[in-house]
Amino acid sequence: MGLLSLLIFLPLIATTIILLLPSSLRDSYKYIALGFTIAQFTLAGYMYSQFDAAASGVDTVSGYQFVEHLSWIRMDLGTLGKLEIDYFLGVDGFSLPLLALSAFVMLMAIGASWNITKSLKGYFSLLMILNVAVMGIFCALDFFLFYVFYEVMLLPLYFLIGIWGGARREYAAIKFFIYTLFGSVFMLLVIVGLYFSVTNPLTGAHTFNMLHMMNPANYVENSFFGYINNYNEVFGISARMIGFIVLFFAFAIKVPIVPLHTWLPDAHVEAPTPVSIILAGILLKVGGYGIIRICLSIFPDAAVEANWWLGLIGIISIIYGALNALAQKDLKRLIAYSSVSHMGFVLLGIASLTAEGISGAMFQMISHGFLSAALFFLVGVIYDRVHDRYIYNFRGLTSLMPKYTGYVAIAFFASLGLPGFSAFIGEAFVIIGTFNSESVGTGIPRWMAIAGSLGILLSAAYFLWTLQRMFFGETRLKGGEEWASALVDLNKREQLILFPTLALALLLGVIPSLIFDNLNSSVLNLVALVKQYI
Amino acid sequence: MNDVALHLSETLDHILASIPQFKPEFALIIVFLFSIIATLFTDRFWKQSSFFVSIIGYIISFFSLLPQLHQPTSGFFGMLVIDDFSVFARGIIVFALLVSTIFIQQHFKSKISQKNLGDVYTVLLTAGLGLNLLTITTNWLLVFIAIETLSISSYILVGYFSENKKQSEAAMKYVLFGAVCSAVMLYGLSLLYGFTGNLDFTSSAHIQGLTAAPQVMTTIALLFVFTGIGFKLSFVPFHAWAPDVYEGAPTPVTAFLSTVPKVGAIVLLARVTQAWTTSLFYFGELTILFITVVAIITMLAGNLIALRQHNMKRMMAYSSIGHTGFLLMAVLVAPSGDPAILLFYLCAYVLMNLAAFAFIDALEQKTGATELESYAGLGKKMPIIFTGFTFIGISLIGLPPTVGFVGKLLVFSSVFERHQSSGDLPYLALLITGALTSVISLFYYFKIPLYAFLRGGQSEQNNHASVTLIVVIGIILTSLVFGIGIFPDLLLGLFK
Repeated sequence: MGLLSLLIFLPLIATTIILLLPSSLRDSYKYIALGFTIAQFTLAGYMYSQFDAAASGVDTVSGYQFVEHLSWIRMDLGTLGKLEIDYFLGVDGFSLPLLALSAFVMLMAIGASWNITKSLKGYFSLLMILNVAVMGIFCALDFFLFYVFYEVMLLPLYFLIGIWGGARREYAAIKFFIYTLFGSVFMLLVIVGLYFSVTNPLTGAHTFNMLHMMNPANYVENSFFGYINNYNEVFGISARMIGFIVLFFAFAIKVPIVPLHTWLPDAHVEAPTPVSIILAGILLKVGGYGIIRICLSIFPDAAVEANWWLGLIGIISIIYGALNALAQKDLKRLIAYSSVSHMGFVLLGIASLTAEGISGAMFQMISHGFLSAALFFLVGVIYDRVHDRYIYNFRGLTSLMPKYTGYVAIAFFASLGLPGFSAFIGEAFVIIGTFNSESVGTGIPRWMAIAGSLGILLSAAYFLWTLQRMFFGETRLKGGEEWASALVDLNKREQLILFPTLALALLLGVIPSLIFDNLNSSVLNLVALVKQYI
Repeated sequence: MNDVALHLSETLDHILASIPQFKPEFALIIVFLFSIIATLFTDRFWKQSSFFVSIIGYIISFFSLLPQLHQPTSGFFGMLVIDDFSVFARGIIVFALLVSTIFIQQHFKSKISQKNLGDVYTVLLTAGLGLNLLTITTNWLLVFIAIETLSISSYILVGYFSENKKQSEAAMKYVLFGAVCSAVMLYGLSLLYGFTGNLDFTSSAHIQGLTAAPQVMTTIALLFVFTGIGFKLSFVPFHAWAPDVYEGAPTPVTAFLSTVPKVGAIVLLARVTQAWTTSLFYFGELTILFITVVAIITMLAGNLIALRQHNMKRMMAYSSIGHTGFLLMAVLVAPSGDPAILLFYLCAYVLMNLAAFAFIDALEQKTGATELESYAGLGKKMPIIFTGFTFIGISLIGLPPTVGFVGKLLVFSSVFERHQSSGDLPYLALLITGALTSVISLFYYFKIPLYAFLRGGQSEQNNHASVTLIVVIGIILTSLVFGIGIFPDLLLGLFK
């Protein structure tokens, strides 16, 4: 059993222990979950430090590290050929940073779960199963395995939102589930199509191996998604383009893009704080990761044709999300919409198909991962105390909660892209990439870069305005004295979670090479892969 | 005279030689007789004697099946066709019958009923006989006899326990609907016989006759025949009886009705489809077109109507109609001579449905209701049952890591392969409908955890969650659903 398997299945041990322990020991569940997540985080950190930055990843096995390759399902299906499904794990520059991020955000989520009291056994075991699925998604290199983890991820989330959520939790939970499932069942059809189009050059069997799918030489001639002589059309669109579009939408729902984002505010508002943290910190990145790992790498030819539209969708998400955030009166909704806006940068960066743009997109994902987690945690702090997060119900919180205000201010400034913080690096690289795109010839016009900068401006507007509305001025609270006494400043546990997160934002803002070094060769390899089709 | 006598001895020899091939069914017939005797005489002293007789019968029948594996043969002048397909199908049938019998025994254990349970086991055995016959024949006459044997047994099972007006109505509806469908089918068969002079639907005389006959008449005859099969499979538009009967019948009988007859009917349909679609004549295309259209409509109708149901058993009825549509899709693309994927999906379907009804029955015994609303807040009191039930729901939707997902993936693969090789748009339509209805089905299957876990119920009643045999069976089936979902080659390898 390799390190990656250990990383993925460590939380499963925690689930088993939690399920087996009697309810009289319910207070120990969170410590078990915490212990295993710390172990997982340490392991992820160790792997990150051991990663060989020169490995190119993406489409060659040798470019991946910590590879585990076991055959899982081998079946002879007669006319359908030989079924070849592998337990195939590996990480490259794209997946490893996200893996480390996931371990970090999971740790934050466990920290934020400290005050949960309702059915602890179910809560922590579901959280740990979610952890397994998320880790699996980022490691899987077999499409079947990827799909299994991708779907398994939905189930614990449904229950986490549905049981521990707010007033409209049933609606939010099923909406989230339906949106994602809608994307993924059609993804399944494309997976089946790819399966029949690709053969393993070594065995001649059809395969779900993603790396084989990235190599045009492995495509069967005249197959549905084949490269050469492919005149297959569905509804007048060429087969490879339709495959790209279906996969893109499956992942874009997760990102989320406008207009498929409407599940996100609902899910965030109804979800308990830890689940919001995981949603924003990890799950949105699954979408971005999927687009890079699968849409771009398996369908580079279609991606090149469609990237103008991708860029446009990115721009719309940035601007529309920001404008919506400006209009929100619920603090959590505001942050949810800011996520839509910030994830738009990821899409724009990917669409630029330049090394700067894709690196920027990756960096933006990492940075948004822990910054949005911190923001949701901060909302959770205030919600825990007075069970309200309506912006206009608070005023002048500075005098009541000075430390809290300090953290909020730093988190807001970091998120709006102040130089010196990580979000700045991500957004700047995306905009540089988009700007350069025209000279490289990838077809993203310069006005998109300008529109992207407008998004940064808007995000400054809504963050600063919120800061002004809630924290400055004379103290005036809707709940009066009762609230004033309930609103105590941050405690040790909360600071212990927030401080490293914001310190990380600063650290990565000052030394971005911590991420870029490991990312670079994979990005260059991907760009080279795509460039052939420009 | 001499001539006849000569033939007679040859005929007798042939019949005697054919008997060993009839062993599994023969076992059922013998046990059927024993079961009657047990019901009449020994049940008075030992109440469970007829139950154990039929259990032993199924086990004997199962073991006499095993020697037939990989020994394709035919007997009784071509009336019986024994191949691996039928061996596996009968294996599934016998397994499902065994489980259903245990369900019935457990269900009525605690109830004081005036009715004699022994009769039910006996009737179940004849149903098994009919089903077995259905899977091993290509002769329309025997098909009709098998369908009638099965139908009449089913009528009795549904009507036997009717206690109130609703249940009697369900039984009555079932009988009337069934009788009409049988009559129509018989008429269709008589037309087929008139055109061809041959009742074996795989024979070349049959196919030639169909080609020579007027196209309109052949079409009508085929549609009539499909009516009879459609009734047993309950695809749209012959599904109307299913919800009422499923709701009205006792839960274990519903468990039987929703799974076992479908296996037999699907096997038959697969044989007919393979025989006709491999010939290049218009009725082959007609059959494909008919099954495609019916599959799409059945998937959509079953899943959409299920959304509006509040009774768990009614919901399962529509869910099984939806799955029938999916099974039709699997039938359509099952390559001749290699029904592994079809068998896998049938097996998955049987496992999932039996498990679902095991949980429904367990809950019915504890709460006395099958309404979805009555499950509200029970998740915390009976975590094992509802966790299992949720898993079955996930499998019925077709999400990993369950057997339902693998089944769906395999069927999608075969349909896709057909689309790729033929480029026909109907296959694409089937794929899209299949995917879309999976999403739709999420809404209603997730009503189970929605009520059980997400909604709070009134907590005044205190059901102590004792673990009964039926729950244990449900859990075993659920773990099979889960285990085969992760390692599908365990089951799929069996069908090779």
